[in-house]
Amino acid sequence: MTPRPINRRAALKGLGSISIALPLLEEWCFPALGSSSETSSAAIPVRSFNLFFGLGIPAPLQEEGFDGVLEPLKPLRDKLLIMRHVDQVRCDQSGINAHFDGASGAFTATPPQGEAKAGGASIDQLILRHHYPQGQPAGVAGTVVAGTFFRRSRVSRYVHSYRPDGTVAATMMERPRDLFDRIFGQVGQVSGQDAQQQHLKRSVLDSVVEQYKYYTGGRSPLGTSSRSKVADHLDRIREFEQRAFTLHADQADGPGRPKPSELLHGGLADPGGEGIDITLDALTTEWRLMADLYATAIQMDRVRFGALTFLAAGERIRLSGDYTYMGQKRYTFEDSRKLNASGSQGCSHEWWHQFNEKKDNEALRAHAHMKMRELAYFMQQLDGPDCVEANDKTILENMLLTISTESGDGRHNDVKRELSGVFHAITGANGRFKTGQIADLKSEGLDVYNTMLRGMGVKARLGPTDRESHEVASILA
Amino acid sequence: MSRWRSSYIGLATISLWLLVGGGLLGAKADRAEEGLLALYNFCEPSGPIIQDISGVPPSLPLRIELMQRVQREGSQIKVTGDTRIKSLALSEELVQVIKQANAFSIEAWITPGLKQQKGPARIVTLSRNGSERCFTLGQDGDAFDVRCRSTQTNANGIPSLGSKDFSIRPELTHVIYTRSPEGQLKLYLNGALNHQGHDEGTLQAWKTNVQLGLANESDGNRAWKGTYHLVALFGRALNEQEVAAHYQAGSQALDTSVAPLLVRSPEARFFDQEVAPILANHCLECHDSFHTKGGLDLSKQASAMKGSKHEAVILPGDPEGSVLWESVWHDDMPEDRPALSLEQKQVLKRWIEQGATWGLDPIDPVLFVHGHQNQENWVRRLTREEYVQTIGTTFQIDIRRQAMDILPTDARADGFSNTAYNLTVDLQHVDAYAELASIIVQKLDIKAFAGRFSKQIKFTDNDMGALIQSMGKWILRGPVQEHELFALRGITTGVAATGGSYEQAIGLVIEAMLQSPRFLYRFESQQGDGTRWPLEPHALANRVSYLLWGSSPDAALVQAAEEGLLYDSDRLKGEVTRMLEDSRAIGRSEAFLIDWLNLNRLNQLSPSAEYFPHWSPQLAKAMQEETIAFFRHLVWEQKRPLHELFNARFTFLNQALANHYQIQVQEELPLIGLQKTELTADSRRGGLLTHGSVLSIGGDEASMVARGLFMLHEVLRGVIQDPPPCVDVTPVPTGSGLSQRVIATKRIENKSCGGCHSKFEPLAFAMEQFDGLGRYQRQDRHGNLLREDGALHIPGDSTQQPYATSLELLDFIANHPRAQATLTWKIIQFAMGRPLTAEDAPAVEAIHQASMEAGGTWASLMTALITHPWFTTIQTEQPQ
Repeated sequence: MTPRPINRRAALKGLGSISIALPLLEEWCFPALGSSSETSSAAIPVRSFNLFFGLGIPAPLQEEGFDGVLEPLKPLRDKLLIMRHVDQVRCDQSGINAHFDGASGAFTATPPQGEAKAGGASIDQLILRHHYPQGQPAGVAGTVVAGTFFRRSRVSRYVHSYRPDGTVAATMMERPRDLFDRIFGQVGQVSGQDAQQQHLKRSVLDSVVEQYKYYTGGRSPLGTSSRSKVADHLDRIREFEQRAFTLHADQADGPGRPKPSELLHGGLADPGGEGIDITLDALTTEWRLMADLYATAIQMDRVRFGALTFLAAGERIRLSGDYTYMGQKRYTFEDSRKLNASGSQGCSHEWWHQFNEKKDNEALRAHAHMKMRELAYFMQQLDGPDCVEANDKTILENMLLTISTESGDGRHNDVKRELSGVFHAITGANGRFKTGQIADLKSEGLDVYNTMLRGMGVKARLGPTDRESHEVASILA
Repeated sequence: MSRWRSSYIGLATISLWLLVGGGLLGAKADRAEEGLLALYNFCEPSGPIIQDISGVPPSLPLRIELMQRVQREGSQIKVTGDTRIKSLALSEELVQVIKQANAFSIEAWITPGLKQQKGPARIVTLSRNGSERCFTLGQDGDAFDVRCRSTQTNANGIPSLGSKDFSIRPELTHVIYTRSPEGQLKLYLNGALNHQGHDEGTLQAWKTNVQLGLANESDGNRAWKGTYHLVALFGRALNEQEVAAHYQAGSQALDTSVAPLLVRSPEARFFDQEVAPILANHCLECHDSFHTKGGLDLSKQASAMKGSKHEAVILPGDPEGSVLWESVWHDDMPEDRPALSLEQKQVLKRWIEQGATWGLDPIDPVLFVHGHQNQENWVRRLTREEYVQTIGTTFQIDIRRQAMDILPTDARADGFSNTAYNLTVDLQHVDAYAELASIIVQKLDIKAFAGRFSKQIKFTDNDMGALIQSMGKWILRGPVQEHELFALRGITTGVAATGGSYEQAIGLVIEAMLQSPRFLYRFESQQGDGTRWPLEPHALANRVSYLLWGSSPDAALVQAAEEGLLYDSDRLKGEVTRMLEDSRAIGRSEAFLIDWLNLNRLNQLSPSAEYFPHWSPQLAKAMQEETIAFFRHLVWEQKRPLHELFNARFTFLNQALANHYQIQVQEELPLIGLQKTELTADSRRGGLLTHGSVLSIGGDEASMVARGLFMLHEVLRGVIQDPPPCVDVTPVPTGSGLSQRVIATKRIENKSCGGCHSKFEPLAFAMEQFDGLGRYQRQDRHGNLLREDGALHIPGDSTQQPYATSLELLDFIANHPRAQATLTWKIIQFAMGRPLTAEDAPAVEAIHQASMEAGGTWASLMTALITHPWFTTIQTEQPQ
């Protein structure tokens, strides 16, 4: 069964009764405290998101352009710069694993520092810190990280936004309901209280904020890393403060939260790396709800920075179901049967191991094509007529969306090729970068990312400070 | 007067052997010790704490309030600005002793910073404030001035006894003031009597609410600038001969200066931080003690300097002549691996040029997994479990159900779920903390709780302020700071302004405290000069308490901290012993066990119904409980050495688990709950590695890879890099003639795979006869006969160890120093909330050795850890 496309608002309103009242849009249009002058003057906020998909696209298949697995991106080609021949070999050190380290390298261009730490900041976080040095405007949530994924043995398989110290920028929201609560849910339990009670609760929060401010300030006894950690906590408290005391959703129309997820989550979703059985319908239904929620959050200017993941690095699922595209059945997923194996050996992951550029690679192509279809679905939610902003461009065109993945080649006879030619694509970021092209960059990911940072006006750079950088000017508009 | 202090007064020894930090430092000096009450030689290498080295309990350490106004210079401190240096606690015992003796002496070796200082500027003072004192030695203009309160003076000690004018010069000066029981007052400068007087009164007028201080009055405003070399207090009047002897002994007589704690030579640090990681990550795969390719072992200094079977490869001072550098420079090495970066090559060249000084020996690759960055200063958020325990200790309220329901799970990183850098906070946490705070206050009898701290139920500034300070010190695990008091007072005044009740105000204050960073995080002062500093008293108490109990300190530990007793090694040991008797210590140790072995993994275990039709969640639960009960019995009831966890021949079973394991028992076992069961050799079992909870780590197919990696990482502290991206890591299915061992052997024999797989798969060979859920079997489902013999390689060893049976392997592991040390390392990682690095290695090794010498038990390890300077100090950061 092909999942029926979900209209964003219909989805939100249709899932019972959602408490995102449109008047909120007005409430959320606060003066942009702490926002950059660039943001204020252009009236288009600086936004940056990382969109990750698992298992990658082998470089030879990328060469086919929109005639191959990239076909679903074709309707968006004018809004995208497809970047081929981007090498993450810096992350491909001897004896490390592309699924883990390659995934950590996506958006950071550095190998990880530990099981739950990247080698440094991800692009979005440097842009955030540069453009919003005093924090994001009131009403905007902090960094939001969400995704639909199952493999979770290491954090960098699925989290794709990292602070400069390499720690995760935000807690992963892996259920639509979690994401909904994170963005739109009521917090603080103050709505039922009388004015006096609310006033007193507010004084409690004021006191708490003061304490956090002290311990992130100049007289704090804490060191650099600790202060940064407490500062993050303070950001979350400020958001809580906004949500609890300033933003009041209209409960009358009442729609509720999304239904509980029917997919496996937590430890159950990754039973010892053995993989899980899942239908295409179940997978894409949950992903699209997640994509809808995330896109709506962006559209309502509730989120400006973060990451979204569609399937983890080294994902292990045994997918089943008919795959259609543009009304035509393209393939029938039957991983376990076609691989003639159960457990981890029956997972779609195996098609990547079996990739041979001299063969058809039909199953891999179908999986990769499906992933592109789903990424395109998310992007389309930000590219419709209701997403046009003051400069007559859509949100998709105005924001920086960086798409990447874990491994590039899939061929297993040369270590250095595994992370060579890692698929990348970016949007124009309000005219900062070229779009409408497929560019063969033949550059290191670190140089590409640092050029992107320069294009975004960010002074900070990724990677070693003493390294000679090579600007990839061809991506700049 | 306390008996113990008076007994010290009675001692008379001329030679003084100082016990500092539990070690005999042996500074002999011709000084009197009779009646010694407090002694400061200022020899701490760093930090704000000045230890009382008199050895007379209770110890009276001092704390420097503003370190930036004090310079430590060897065995002296130079006060350059306005600060306060005060005893951590009130000096009640000191006062009582002197009052009883009606006599005392103050001795100070100082260098005045200015010829003229006014106030008098306080040099040494035992006082409450600017007008209430017991005594003060001060500088008034260019003369010394001693105020001593008696029944014949006012509360300020006036009239005072001054030295002759012009007696102060900015040079090293020895000053002693004595008061005899008869009221004879003498002031000696540089060994000679300068001035004397007489006081008809007695010292019974002294109050006990005073603190010993240097360089300022207790409440400030009387700063003295200058250098302290030595300060001593005696509970008697020193005689003229003793005064002269002390002067002759000099200001350095008691110098116990030692190299700063845990500091290594720059060359050794360079090796550990820059060179060793390169060798560990790029060379030891082929050139360690086991794989001595070309006869070269680069893991040890001796073998590395000896070179390969052909030649020396490192010629100190001559990189161009060193094969090591030449081969990496020309990218000949590492063979079949990516070449070193230019930066890495330059590091090796510089190291050889500078003499190839070695550091940690041997190089243990596990120390370099996490780089050499200072990972210590990640403030630690309370984990969910710590939050629950802390609420229990603080309020006697059980919040477990609500907390586990509301608070997000703490994610695992680097093998544990309490790894500080990964304890992040999101909106959900903030919301949960607010909600939990509200629930806790609703559960609390606020009036009764507040009554523990103050009987004055008033909104007035003084009363409410005093309550917040007293209550806050308990809830926030340390003194309430002024800025916190202001913030919290804002709440109570708001309540008062709206006509709210006292209980409402206190409830909201508690809610605020429960959401404050001081409560949700374990704060330790991390600012300093970049060296290791002693922890502040409350921070040390918190560190001890969270290590032993996973919870906040109790009142006894707080009191010991405030009296400075935790700086006394013996007293600290006493606290450890006391706290280990508490049931919370058992819970904390079990929390380690659960995290280390990831026992919560069993909650998600869903083995193939085809292969394991009799599996049930209850069986998984029994497996968890088996491991915990086994641990509790061995560690806490039998108090056996920890390494016996690997081979103890008993376990805990219920009937279902016994049936699953196919263990025959004499009597029917309980259906619910577990019973201790002795194991026979037939069972092939012993220790927790043969528990279903651990064996199931191998998955349905009992993967040798998964089990071997578990053994390598968790039991032997080994390192193996992930397979390169080119490798298909999909498990090979077993089949007829293709057992897990056969598959593993093929991998080991494969040239590409064997280098790594030979290091860990043989560790699992002995467990081949246990299936994916730990059932014993002689053949697998394909009919392949299974074996239990093999040979294993322990990381760091140069040879393989053959074994015939699984029990033989378990005994070998239990008795191998590497496995024994690994337990220590894992426990300390859990204790510190971060992976350990090369910087930590010397201290951790010393702690392990001390623990083993004391029996190798949980208690001995906790004691060794807590009393080691590495634990009681913190690596500070210089302000940016």
